[in-house]
Amino acid sequence: MEVIPSIDVLQGNAVRLTGGQFTLMTKYGAPEEVLDALEVEPGSRLHVVDLEASRSGRPVETEIVRRLAKRDLRLQVGGGIRTLRDARAWLECGAERVVVGTAAAESPEFLQQLADAIGVARIIPAVDVQGGIVRVEGWQRTASESLVSILRRLEKLGIAEILVTDINRDGALRGPSFALYRQLRAMTSMRIIASGGVASAGDIVSLSRIANVSGCVVGKALLDRRISLAEANAVATPNAIPERIIPCLDVRDGRVVKGTNFGNLRDSGDPVECAMRYEKEGADELVILDVSATEEGRRTALETVRRVADSIFIPLTVGGGVRSVSDFRALLRAGADRVAINTAAIATPQLIADCAREFGVQAVVLSCDVKGSEAIVRSCKQSTGLDAVAWCKRAEELGAGEILLTSVDRDGTNIGFDLELLRAVSSSVKIGVIASGGAGKLEDFRDAIETGGARAVLAASLFHERRLSIGEVKQFLAREGIPVR
Amino acid sequence: MQVTLIDSPVANVASIARALRHAGAELRVTRDADAIASADKIVLPGVGSFAAAMQWLTANGIDVAIRSAVSRGATILGVCVGHQLLFDVSHEMGTTPGLGLIRGEVRKFAGPLPVPQIGWNRVRFAKSPLFDGTDAFYFVNSYAAANVESEIARADYGGPFTAAVQRDRIFGVQFHPEKSSAAGLKLLRNFIAWK
Repeated sequence: MEVIPSIDVLQGNAVRLTGGQFTLMTKYGAPEEVLDALEVEPGSRLHVVDLEASRSGRPVETEIVRRLAKRDLRLQVGGGIRTLRDARAWLECGAERVVVGTAAAESPEFLQQLADAIGVARIIPAVDVQGGIVRVEGWQRTASESLVSILRRLEKLGIAEILVTDINRDGALRGPSFALYRQLRAMTSMRIIASGGVASAGDIVSLSRIANVSGCVVGKALLDRRISLAEANAVATPNAIPERIIPCLDVRDGRVVKGTNFGNLRDSGDPVECAMRYEKEGADELVILDVSATEEGRRTALETVRRVADSIFIPLTVGGGVRSVSDFRALLRAGADRVAINTAAIATPQLIADCAREFGVQAVVLSCDVKGSEAIVRSCKQSTGLDAVAWCKRAEELGAGEILLTSVDRDGTNIGFDLELLRAVSSSVKIGVIASGGAGKLEDFRDAIETGGARAVLAASLFHERRLSIGEVKQFLAREGIPVR
Repeated sequence: MQVTLIDSPVANVASIARALRHAGAELRVTRDADAIASADKIVLPGVGSFAAAMQWLTANGIDVAIRSAVSRGATILGVCVGHQLLFDVSHEMGTTPGLGLIRGEVRKFAGPLPVPQIGWNRVRFAKSPLFDGTDAFYFVNSYAAANVESEIARADYGGPFTAAVQRDRIFGVQFHPEKSSAAGLKLLRNFIAWK
């Protein structure tokens, strides 16, 4: 997939409008300076929108395009192109292709005329979609044709690639509209340039996994330095690194238990039997969380860890009640590969650094339980006043190797993961995030990875109660283009 | 088949021991240099710091014992940092010479992906006594060799790196077969059975 940096130009400046309103404008300076700052390499594609042209209906910033074309950039220029003369004006300035919006949706005759004059390869129709409906004229009006019929017509004309914007996502950094691009796969064989909503490197990874998406336009995220172009390019080629599915055993007094919102515990079986079954089903890792309330319970937990570690050949992460470096060491000795710290890290953040120094960052998992947007203490659900995102960033700096992020509000509810929370954390840290709390159906696993940016997904009751098997989850993810083991 | 597992304090010896036994090895776990020097099939584990692991080998004469076993025709498998120790040199925290049994250098991952690599990765094996074909194995590493002559398996982590090596009877795997479920156990069984 090709990453296409994008700038909007107005009155000689690179700018950004919020919600398409000219009154809500951010100025970024001269286009050349912006491109230098973004480190746009010669030979790359650049998406340019002339905002004044889209308002007035005639090319305005032709000088800018002329200057940019001299930098050996492959320009695609858009902004109110409705006549052959406008399109030609941009091409004469050195643009490689013209982006045609309203006219592509509303004027089949014009598009045919344009195709005959300049060739279909130099046209990129831009389709703006809102809830399955095509909007035109700066999103002000609904197109007279349906999305399906517009797509059919463009395809018939010989168009190979179209630009699709989900209006509700543009510039909002809420994430690209993955669902829309998937739906388009069933509707057209044209390649899609995704536009709008890219906020993180994870979003680019997720888009690159959707087979019909050949490019993505990135504007705000680059301009606001949320990601660098180099980083974006590096992750735009889909890799085969499997995402992980992790069953979780909440263990109390030697038995697996599971509740809802951290309460109402029910017995769910023997830990060793569960662990062995899950390895056989294809679990990539196992998490044991000791939810015992007493000292005696904790000693039992250590024995449970030993028994489980002795019966599986996949990595084991253990958490619950870890208060000190020596607790941490005891769990590693009992057979854990990694240890999750929660309450004690909130009380003493230095514990993360101490454990990372002693055992390596790969061994340290920060378990962060979140209610609303606040990190809470699991056992007593005590308020901490800690913002979950800020706390996860701090833990990364201190030496956590991964974050197990649990939404307390979703725990055991099977209503889906808190995707907003996941996005907020995963786009703020470089280390991996394990999504936890709320898994209920196959799509939830995909969404946690694709939209939430999680590198692993954890579930408990769903697997214990055999409503889904790990194999089913993995088959589904593979079909959706997400690599699994 | 008897296998001698080097009882390094800079390693996850218990996990590897359990996996080797499960894979059918008659296991001897030792840090005795003479026992290692006279062993026929050796596993060199390692987790954590390259320098600390190498220092322990030299301080206890295990480096000499390994070289002498290899020159006698012993078979050896290095795992994770144990695999890295087989190389000429590592650039982890300065430059530390390794055992020099495999030509090449161990360097930190460069690229956009988070380091350490924690998790499963797809490994493509050339036909070899250890493993045949492609499967996923579990990795925990910040450093790796790349593009070396003895490479028999490769993986990608923001760029290709060497996942396994073989020179004559010397083998190394960057991943953890003891944590790689059925694929890892199969690889260990192949190592144990190889003559």
